Amino acid sequence: MSTQTHQTTQSASVSPFVSTGSGLRFSGLLKSESIKLWSLRSTYWTFSLVVVAALGLAVAMSFALSPETAGFDQATGAVIAVDSAQMFVIVCTIGLGLGQMIVAVLGVLSISGEYSTGMIKSTLTAVPDRLPALWAKVIVVFGFTFLVGLFSVLSAFLVATPILGSQDVTASLFDVDVIMPLLGNVLFLALIAVFSVGIGTIVRSSAGGIATVLGIILLLPTVVSLFSLLVEWVADLMPFLFTVAGSEMIAPTMVESWEALLIVLAWVAVSLGIAALLLKRRDA
Amino acid sequence: MIQAQSLTKHYGSKTAVDAIDFTVQPGKVTGFLGPNGAGKSTTMRMIVGLDRPSAGSVIVNGKPYHEHKAPLREVGVLLDAKAVHTGRSAFNHLRAMAATHDIPTSRVHEVINLTGLESVARKRVGGFSLGMGQRLGIAAALLGDPATLILDEPVNGLDPEGVQWVRKLTKQLAAEGRTVLLSSHLMSEMALTADHIIVLGRGRVIADASVADIIASAAQNTVRVRSPHTAALAALLAQDDVTITNVEQDVLEISGLTVTEIGDRAAAAQISLHELSAVNASLEDAYMKLTQNEVEYRTGDASSHTEAEVAR
Repeated sequence: MSTQTHQTTQSASVSPFVSTGSGLRFSGLLKSESIKLWSLRSTYWTFSLVVVAALGLAVAMSFALSPETAGFDQATGAVIAVDSAQMFVIVCTIGLGLGQMIVAVLGVLSISGEYSTGMIKSTLTAVPDRLPALWAKVIVVFGFTFLVGLFSVLSAFLVATPILGSQDVTASLFDVDVIMPLLGNVLFLALIAVFSVGIGTIVRSSAGGIATVLGIILLLPTVVSLFSLLVEWVADLMPFLFTVAGSEMIAPTMVESWEALLIVLAWVAVSLGIAALLLKRRDA
Repeated sequence: MIQAQSLTKHYGSKTAVDAIDFTVQPGKVTGFLGPNGAGKSTTMRMIVGLDRPSAGSVIVNGKPYHEHKAPLREVGVLLDAKAVHTGRSAFNHLRAMAATHDIPTSRVHEVINLTGLESVARKRVGGFSLGMGQRLGIAAALLGDPATLILDEPVNGLDPEGVQWVRKLTKQLAAEGRTVLLSSHLMSEMALTADHIIVLGRGRVIADASVADIIASAAQNTVRVRSPHTAALAALLAQDDVTITNVEQDVLEISGLTVTEIGDRAAAAQISLHELSAVNASLEDAYMKLTQNEVEYRTGDASSHTEAEVAR
C-alpha cells in the first residue's frame, strides 16, 4: 500500500466547534415517550383489546346477569343479590379484569422492548441522568392507560344502559355509587400498567417481566389462599396482595378503602423504587 | 474534546479497560484501533455514560457527559446499529430522539436526507439491511448537530459509496472544528480517514500518535529485490540489523537497508538484479506489529506471527 497525505497541521488550527440550541426538557421527554408509545403497533393492539374486552363482556353480562344473580359473597362464594348501581359497576368493569392482564403486558413491554432491541442505549444516551426518562415513561403509560380505561368503562356504561334498562335496571352515571367504583377500577388499571413498567425495568426481559407481573396479579392470590387453608394466619396476608388490595379499594370487605389504596400505592412505589435504583446503578 | 484519566473498567475479575489516559482533540479525525476485546467499545460506552467506570474518569467537552444540559448536542454516538426498536420506523425513532431535546422535525428530515434514508424512513427498522441500520445510526448521531462524534465501526456493512461518504463526512465534520472519534477494523480506510490514531490492546493504550508517526515507528520500510542469485545476495547483505525474508522463489524482502545500499552492493559483487523497489509500510503493517502480542482472540494460523515475535 502506498503512503497517504495528511493535513493534520492544517486542521488543528481550526477553532473548536461549540454546540448551540435547545437542550433536555421534561416536557420533551414526555413527548418523546408518547411518540415511542404510539409508534409501535403493539400499543394499538393492546389498547384496542382492552376496549373490546370491556365492551364485549359488558354486553354479554348485561344479557346474562340479573341483579339477583350478579353478586357473590367473597367469604362464602354464594350468589347474592346486588342493587342496580352495583349491577352497573359489575357489568362495566368485568372486562377490565382481562384488561388488567393486557395493560400489565403493555407496561412490561414498554421498557423490556427497549432492552431486547437495544433502544435503551439510545434512550439513555439522550437522557444520561436516566431517571427522568423512567418518570416520563411512567407518566405517559399511566396517562394513556387511564384514558383508555376511562373510555372503556364509559362506553360500557352507554352500551349496558339500554340492555339493563329493558330489565328495569337503571342507574345514573353520576351516582357516587356508580362513578366512584368505575373511576377506582380505571385508576387501578393504570396503576397496574405503571407497576409493570417498574417490573420490566427491574427484570429487563419481556418474558421474565410478563411472567413476574402475571404471577403477582394472578397466581399470588391463589397461592396465598391455598396456604391459608394449611396455616391460618396466612389468610391475614390476603388484603396486602396487589390485586386483592385493588379490589378492596373499590369494594372494601377486609380493610378500609383508603388502606387498600395505600397498599396498592406501596406495591407501585416498591416496584418503581427498585426500578429507579437499578436503572441508575446498572450499566446499560 | 474527550479526555480520559486513568479510565478503568472491570467486569468481574476481567479488566476490560486498564487505567488508560488519552485525549481526543477537536479539529481532527481520531482513529480508535485495537483487536476484538481490546476495550474500544467499552471505552466509548463509558464516554457517554452507558457504562460506569470502575475507576478514573472521562470528560467530554469539559464535563462528564451526564452533566451536560443538552447531551445530544454535545455528543453524537453510534455504538452499534442495534440501538433502535425494531418495531418502529426510522422516522419515528429519530422523532422520538429529537423530542427529548426539542430538536425540530425539520432537523429529522435533514439527517434523513443527509444519510440517504428518504425511501425507507417510514418503514419499520426490523426490516432494514445492515447498511441501512448503519445509516440510521449515523443519522441519529448527527441529529443534535453535536460538537463531538463517536462512531463505532460506522462503515461496517456499508456499500463502497457509503464508505466513501462516511470518509468525506467525518473529514468535513473534523474540519468544522468538531471532535471525531472513529473505530474501524478496516486499516486501509482508517489510513485514508484518520489524522491521529489511538491503538488499544488488552485495555491499555499501546500507541497514541499521528498516522505518519505510527507507521514510521512501528513498521519498517522494506525493499523488494528480485534476483536469480538470492542466496548469494542474502549472504552478501546479512548483518545484525538487517532482516531478509525469502518471500517467494527469486524474491527477497529486505529491511534495514536502503534501495541505494542494496543496489550498490549488488553491483559491486556483480549480482544481477531484475527488480529493486522500495515498499512503503502501511498502517496495517504498523498495526499488526503493534498489536502482535495484544491480540485477545487469535486465529489458529501460527506461521504469520512467529517471525515478528522472534523479532521482538
